[in-house]
Amino acid sequence: MKLLIIEDEQALRESMVKYLSYQGYVCETAADFLSARDKLSLFNYDCVIVDIGLPGGSGLDIVSEVKYLESKAGIIIISARNTLDDKLKGLELGSDDYLTKPFHLSELNARIQAILRRRSFDGNKTIGFHEIKLYPDQRKATVNEKSIDLTDKEYNLLEYFISNKGRVLTKPAIAEHNWGDEYAQAGEYDFIYTHIKNLRKKLLDAGSGDYLKTVYGSGYRFTDL
Amino acid sequence: MKLLAKTTVYFLSAMIALLAVTGFYLYRQFSREIKNRSDAELLTAESQWINYLQSQADIGTTFIMRSKELSVFPTDAPPQPYPVISDAEDYTIISGTKIPYRQLTHVVPVNGINYQLVIKNSQEQKVALMKNFTKVVLFVFAGLCLATLLFNWIMSRRLWRPFHQSLQKIKAADLQQMKDMRFDKTGTYEFNQLNESLDAMSRKIYSDYISMKEFTENAAHEMQTPIAVVQSKLELLLQDGNLHDEQVQSLLQAEDALNRLSRLNQGLLLLAKIENNQFQAEGEVSFAAITSKYLSQFSELIHQKQLQVETEFTNDFKIPLHSFLADSMISNLLGNAIKYNYEGGKITIATTAHSYEVGNTSRQKAIPPDKLYKRFGNSSELAVKSNGLGLAIVKKIADTNNLAIIYEAGNNMHSFTITRKKV
Repeated sequence: MKLLIIEDEQALRESMVKYLSYQGYVCETAADFLSARDKLSLFNYDCVIVDIGLPGGSGLDIVSEVKYLESKAGIIIISARNTLDDKLKGLELGSDDYLTKPFHLSELNARIQAILRRRSFDGNKTIGFHEIKLYPDQRKATVNEKSIDLTDKEYNLLEYFISNKGRVLTKPAIAEHNWGDEYAQAGEYDFIYTHIKNLRKKLLDAGSGDYLKTVYGSGYRFTDL
Repeated sequence: MKLLAKTTVYFLSAMIALLAVTGFYLYRQFSREIKNRSDAELLTAESQWINYLQSQADIGTTFIMRSKELSVFPTDAPPQPYPVISDAEDYTIISGTKIPYRQLTHVVPVNGINYQLVIKNSQEQKVALMKNFTKVVLFVFAGLCLATLLFNWIMSRRLWRPFHQSLQKIKAADLQQMKDMRFDKTGTYEFNQLNESLDAMSRKIYSDYISMKEFTENAAHEMQTPIAVVQSKLELLLQDGNLHDEQVQSLLQAEDALNRLSRLNQGLLLLAKIENNQFQAEGEVSFAAITSKYLSQFSELIHQKQLQVETEFTNDFKIPLHSFLADSMISNLLGNAIKYNYEGGKITIATTAHSYEVGNTSRQKAIPPDKLYKRFGNSSELAVKSNGLGLAIVKKIADTNNLAIIYEAGNNMHSFTITRKKV
């Protein structure tokens, strides 16, 4: 899977490349409007991550450009502007998602995966991790082809963990992804523990390996290591 | 006082003074003229009488005559060189008005005999003149009064029309639509000056408003980007398996602080945007519906604290408010009701057609009124988890949308009630 990351802030661009490469993507970058447009016209990408405020032009025009080229790439806008107008404008032009700065890299990754999955036409719409398989369309999960009964939140957690497999996920990031921004504001994350405990028990009961690891003090990690 | 009334009063007071002075002056001139003429008449009468006396004396008789207007009689008094003319002490009454006399007295020798001459002349004319004068002056004054009122009224309607048009425009002015505000050229120099200044002013206000808007958004952009950089770096650092616990804790604390900084920035920007009236109501919002939405969103937190929620939504509280502001207001109030509650506590929410009330149990002391809606006014031990802007935002939303907010505390219960502001 090939991504184009268009962001003028070098440090942020490098962070995204580092995180997303680790997740198995091929990442190319552009730091300004013109080089982004050149790359888009020359190569095919599966997903484009674009900042709105770019030297030389607006990220919104990049969205129009992608649509004009009839590219199949998914588009995620990342912007510091948290206004409804900008979001609506971006979505209207044809972007698939809108992420406000600052964001968790794990959140960006989860969103990219969701878009790629929605856009894949080869029928591969499942997510797998060893014996665990997720069917996002039906929001169902199986272990060794046997369906397990998960609550809505537990399913979301599992999908988020598998999307970010191998990475340490902090409680604030987990809370924000699964329960929304207001929860991160509340500053209390103890309730996450209950949900993770239940999810882990259900997976183990169904015969899966123990992949959901507690990283002492910081959060959780889904890994087979 | 209206300008029209003021100019009329000034004009009329000036008129009264002027008319009084003119009236007095004219009256004095006329009355002197009449006196002179009356005195001349007296002198003529005297010389005729003296002639008459002399002609009578030739015959060798003394003459005595006493009537109301004329007395001639011999006297022992020494002769006087000049006649004395003065106002008489007696008077006649004609149709109820006292009419004084002007009288001439003279002791004249006629053929060796001294005669006392007293001739009186009625001042009837002068009294009539005074009456007429007063009448005329009053009549002129009344006429001027009417003319002034009428003239000013017409003037105010005609001449002040452009002024009133401009005034109407200013009254209806709205920050968002100030761009298209134009004050047209008029036929009056002063109003042109005014309108030009108003034009310049409204353009300035609009451009200031726009640059302020741009500034708030740019500020968000400029600040959120470095925050995003730091956050991404922290997240990457956390992936490092070789970190000590202490280092991990430091990273988490840094991330926590960064989160607060970001929220603080967003909160301050939101306040600025509300102050700039960037959220116009698009329709009525239902407080009951939004509350239900947030209660289900916060269900985990409510569950975790084992809070008991009592809702009373029989009548909905519906007001025109931008949906984003309604969300912000309710999530802040509910968030506080959860945050400052204790385990096993209670939250009560009630809507009526006129009010929305959120109450919660808390071990916190009542918030002093001077700190209640102040930014960063919170001094409680839970302040670490708060960005100190929640109530300031709620208050700002209420202030800019004609809502009143009442805080009550007592009996371990704190409650906020929102009502429409009475106009």
